[in-house]
This record gives sequence, C-alpha cells and structure tokens, in this order.
Amino acid sequence: MTAEMGCEQVRELAPELALGIAEGEERDAALRHLSGCSGCRQLVSELSSVGDELLQLAPAHDPPVGFESRVLAGLTRPLRRRSIQPLARRWQWLAAAAAAVVLAATLGAGSVLLATAGDRRLAASYQAVLSQGRGAYFLAAPLQGPQDRAGTVFAYQGQPSWVMVTLQPSIQEEGRFQVQVVTRDGRYLFLGDAVLGGAKGTWGGQLPVDLSAVHELRFMGSDGRPAYTATFATANPWD
Amino acid sequence: MEVRSKKRSPGAAVAAGTLGALGVSVVRKLSDESLLAGLGSGDPDAAADFVQRFQRRVFGLTLSILRDRAAAEEAAQESFVRAWRHASTYDPRRGTVAGWLLTIARNVSINMLPTRRFDPIDPEVLLALEGRRSHEDRIEAQVVDSELLREPLARLPGDQRRALVLAAFYGFTAREISELDGVPLGTVKTRIRSAMLNLRSQLRVPDDR
Repeated sequence: MTAEMGCEQVRELAPELALGIAEGEERDAALRHLSGCSGCRQLVSELSSVGDELLQLAPAHDPPVGFESRVLAGLTRPLRRRSIQPLARRWQWLAAAAAAVVLAATLGAGSVLLATAGDRRLAASYQAVLSQGRGAYFLAAPLQGPQDRAGTVFAYQGQPSWVMVTLQPSIQEEGRFQVQVVTRDGRYLFLGDAVLGGAKGTWGGQLPVDLSAVHELRFMGSDGRPAYTATFATANPWD
Repeated sequence: MEVRSKKRSPGAAVAAGTLGALGVSVVRKLSDESLLAGLGSGDPDAAADFVQRFQRRVFGLTLSILRDRAAAEEAAQESFVRAWRHASTYDPRRGTVAGWLLTIARNVSINMLPTRRFDPIDPEVLLALEGRRSHEDRIEAQVVDSELLREPLARLPGDQRRALVLAAFYGFTAREISELDGVPLGTVKTRIRSAMLNLRSQLRVPDDR
C-alpha cells in the first residue's frame, strides 16, 4: 500500500482522478484522502464537471435508421433478465430436467430426477425468498482481512438493496469501522459505522445504489485504511 | 417494459424542431432528470423520449471514439441499456444527465476498443468535425455550458489540447499518452493538469457541487 497522500499531492492528481484515468495505488491513496477531505472532493467534483462538458463537444451524428426502435426493443431483454428471465431460466431448467427424466426412463436409468431433485427444491426456495421482497438476486463474496478470509458478505438486490456481513468467530478483537461502498464508476459512498469482532459478529446496512453498481465493500479502520474488503466480481448474475 | 418507438409525421418533426411553436413536442417539456427518472421506473413513453433526445449525441460520441458505425451503434445501444439499468444511481449534484450518459457511452466505447495501442483519431480532427452548433441545436442539446468550453479548448496550446482529448475522450492514462507521444510522463501530467485547470476557470460551477 502506498503512503498516505496530502492535499497538495491529491490536488496534483485531481485532473486525472476527474477524468477517470488515474491508476493503481496512486489512485487508491488519493481516493482514501478524498473520503476525508471535503476541499479536495470539491476540486475533483468541479474538474469532473469539466470532463463531462468536454464529452458534450463531440459532434452529434444521426444514428442508423431504426436505431431508436432497436434500443427500445433491447430494453425489454434486460428487464426480463432482471425480473422475469430468472424465472424463465428456471422453467427452462425444469423443462430440461423433465426431458432428462424422460430420457432416463427411456434408458432405464431413473436416477436423473432423483439426482437433481435437491437442486430443484433449492431453486424453488430461492425463488420464493426473492419473491417475498420483490428481489432480483442475491450475491455473496468473501470478506478479506489483512491476511486471510475474515468472513462473508451477503448482498441482496431488491427494494431496498442491502448487505449483511458475518465475521468468523475466531476474530475476537473488536474494532470500529467506517463502512464504504466503492461503486463500479469509482465513487466512494459512506454506508455507516460498524462495530465488528468479538461478540459482535454481524453487521448490516442498506445500499444507497443498486447492487449491480457495487464493486467493493470496505470496512475502514481508524487509520483510514481498509481493514476488511469484499469485492463483487459479478455485477449481476443474470448478465 | 413495453416500449414504443415514436414515429412522428414529417409535419410533427418540423414542429418539434421549431422552438416556441405550438408543435413543440412533449420531449422538450420534460427535464432530462424527469425523463431519466421515467426511464428508470420503466415508463415506456419516458424511455422513448429519453432515447430520442440523446441518441444523436450518444451515437456521435461512440462513433467518434470507435470510428466504426456498427461498433458505434452497438456501444450506443449498450449505453442506453446501462442508463436504464443504473438510472437510480444518477445524482444531479454530481453533474448533468447528458454528462452522466455520455460518460457511460465513453466508458462503453473505450471498453470495446480492441487494444489500448490503437491509433486514435487526431484530437484536432475530432473537435473540428462539427464546429460550433447552431443556436437551435445548442438549445435542444442543452449544451450551452459546453459551448463555453469550445473556444477556450481551441485556445489551449496544441500539446495540452491533444493530451486532454486523448484522456477525456479515449481514456488514455498519462502513462499511455507518454508512451504514445514519446514525451516524459511528468510532462504529460502537467499538460493535462494545466488544460483542465484552464477550462475549469471558464465554467460556471454551482456552489453546491
């Protein structure tokens, strides 16, 4: 991990941060500084506005004929993928399982249905849980500590979306943390304060953004560095 | 979401293009933020209006970066899908809807570039392709602030302008620009910083940002 940055260094890097081209540990160190410095955040925000406005200088062009219709038609597919397609996929899967049963019976080997019955019950249960809260999907990611895995983060995309953290019982030392979300577009959002460790083995909080926008969950220690992190490699399991 | 494609008669199109006329379309009456909120909530009318309002600018940007119409269309389509999917993450305090959407389009396009070692279009050409927009287009696009940047951008020293455009449009890092142009990394960083600070001074930035 790089040394902490001061305001002067961050202000030097601010244009690159605003344009999204800052790299590696330098970027991480600057973002850590920004999480606690409103003055530098203001500068990056203003420079980000410059970047946004620059993109609007690009020449406009008429898209190919039928573009609008194709875009609008395309919007129906992700919607199905988010809410309907998981169900449809399960039905396809069940249909495949049923077909396998027929095949197994034909072959005189009726073990396929038995072999998949547990999975099908699990899938039905999962679907029922999601439907209770109009949820779309669950994710889970390992919570990494300084050396080893420290626990698990469960995350839920629904209304609202939330995360729940469970810490391994072996971590006895209690700590106070600021919980941050790092979004896929590089923003740092404050979720709340948490006490974890010892008798306090769980923490939960509501997400201010869609789960698909969450790249990483961080528990920041009093030294301003992440003590525990969980990275969501998959934005949306139906993508 | 059941979506519709807005098919306007030629007459309606003319009316829609005439500000202040009785035929000004509903598209003009709703703010960008309202249309985005409608898109995010699955309103098919808002979705159609949103696409219609921004499609020229989104496609123009993806085409500028990718220089291939088929790839640009694919990137533009994906940009609208992402905008719809992530509409709830838009924060008006962080910038305009157009800026947010075009940033998505820029990122999608950059990710579709086959290699980071490609030969980008000459930044001078990119910005000279259209020149100043007509007054009507400026109103339609709500890009008055951007036009404030066009001349200051043109007045920047050429090496600063090139570094800035490579970074802002093509997502080149300072290190990549350094390697591409064969100049020291520190020099590139200074060029980008000087250019950005110069342009920042030209923009009116609201106090609450």
